[in-house]
Amino acid sequence: MSFEVEEGSIFAFLGPNGAGKSTTINTLCTIFDKTSGALIIDGKDVSHDKDAVRSVIGVVFQDPTLDNKMTVIENMVMHCHFYSVPKNEITERIDFALNLVNLLDWKKSMVSSLSGGMKRRVEIARSLLHYPKVLFLDEPTTGLDPQTRAHIWDYIVKLQKEKNITIFLTTHYMDEAEICSKVAIMDKGKIVALDTPYHLKQKYTKDKAYITTEDEQGLEKLLDTAGFIYKKKIGYYSIEVLDLAELMEILSVHKSAIKELEIKKGTLNDVFLDITGKDIRE
Amino acid sequence: MKIISALWYRNIKIFARNRVQLAFTVIMPFFFLYVFNAIFKNDNIDNPVNYMLAGIVITTVFQTALSIATGTIEDIVSGFMKEVLVSPVRRIQISVGQLLSAATIATIQGIIIVVIGYFIGLKFTSILTPVAVVGVMITVGLVFSGLGLFLAALIKNSQTFQIVQAAVMMPLTFLCGAYIPLSLLPNVLLYFAYFNPMTYTTAFFRTVILEKTSLTAEQLVAEQLAFKIGNFIITPAISMGIVLVFGAVFLMLATYVFSKVDFSKINRSKSKEGDIWA
Repeated sequence: MSFEVEEGSIFAFLGPNGAGKSTTINTLCTIFDKTSGALIIDGKDVSHDKDAVRSVIGVVFQDPTLDNKMTVIENMVMHCHFYSVPKNEITERIDFALNLVNLLDWKKSMVSSLSGGMKRRVEIARSLLHYPKVLFLDEPTTGLDPQTRAHIWDYIVKLQKEKNITIFLTTHYMDEAEICSKVAIMDKGKIVALDTPYHLKQKYTKDKAYITTEDEQGLEKLLDTAGFIYKKKIGYYSIEVLDLAELMEILSVHKSAIKELEIKKGTLNDVFLDITGKDIRE
Repeated sequence: MKIISALWYRNIKIFARNRVQLAFTVIMPFFFLYVFNAIFKNDNIDNPVNYMLAGIVITTVFQTALSIATGTIEDIVSGFMKEVLVSPVRRIQISVGQLLSAATIATIQGIIIVVIGYFIGLKFTSILTPVAVVGVMITVGLVFSGLGLFLAALIKNSQTFQIVQAAVMMPLTFLCGAYIPLSLLPNVLLYFAYFNPMTYTTAFFRTVILEKTSLTAEQLVAEQLAFKIGNFIITPAISMGIVLVFGAVFLMLATYVFSKVDFSKINRSKSKEGDIWA
């Protein structure tokens, strides 16, 4: 696979479990060796210049990697030592990062006493301490409740804006991928599509209209003559909308019989379905 | 250097926070002392309590060093090590930090027992003795934390690790003359004892702490501080040599294996047996 990520953007890998998202991330952040090809991060070769790459990246793994036996602040200080953060900046940076994720009051708590969502936030805050240029987030919101998920996303977007960090993430939540600047859809270890969420939707999905009507034969007749592709479902019709104006015209003839009408934009889920021929397993 | 001291500080802190464990490792030796000291009452040993106390001090140092160093496995399984892997920290810094902290904690525990022992009869006539005692404890702590770290890097699995730790620790502890005199062992186990590095560690440490360095070879053999194998007598000095060689080998092996081990394979297959010794 081949891809480029622009500085200061949010790039997402989307795909079912086992598609190779984590493997890609692990390779990028120097844990696995690549089998072939070239990987360049911030102008440095990932295979030959491991230490140089390691000092410009921050990683939040899928599984928690906090030191449970220590307090939040001790975890943070340890991280600063690992990345040789100048001593006089340590306190300031920790306060800044914890403030960003609203955990300043929990500084002195043991990590083992925090909830799952808090641990995630601590991990994200910790990964920022050494001012990474590229941040890898491997499924940052998996297993969290919708509220915490929304919060974490706020932090991620805020971060990207404030610090101009390039963020690289994997997810299998479609709504999360919508926020990203670019999305790569992966399946079975390959990138099957790569574009902005908007373009992907435009390219791979069609808008759909769902209509419930009292006069089914009349509607079918109208749709047939206009050449629309439709399916009769239980109680409603699902119509592919190629030209909205034309559909409106038909409907205006038919309008007295319409009980319900809904027009839906295509989602990334539809894109995924269209490309891989199966739904995303969550 | 900063990373090593940060890791060292972390482990000491964790040790200091776990007071229950500390209390037990201090109480248990005295329980054993009470139960076992009658076995050592014979004509050759003038003060069985002190004789046994010496053995207990050094086995405590050994056990602590070994279990703290193998405790590295918990850090690996809990994921803490994975964070380290993607940081610019070198593996050798981690292994040195782990080894030094294990040795330090082991020495602290040894000192606690020596101090309590001082009130129940352990006496030194020379000021040099306590210095030498601490010196030997640090060395022994380092030697066996090397063994512990080697095991940790080899096993990589926290469930198996409990079993392996017990399987290594029990024979080394009970077949070294610290709790049970070697003269009481059946022949088969005696041969095992001669291959046990702890046998020599215990003998050397007893010679130092009981201030027996001036005894003749025969006296040393009678007190089981030296061993006669065939016509060759392993004096305490040779014992120390054996321990140092053993230590050097395992310290090198531990650092080597630890820096080569592939931690990325651990998290996914915690329970797959095939991966345990892979």
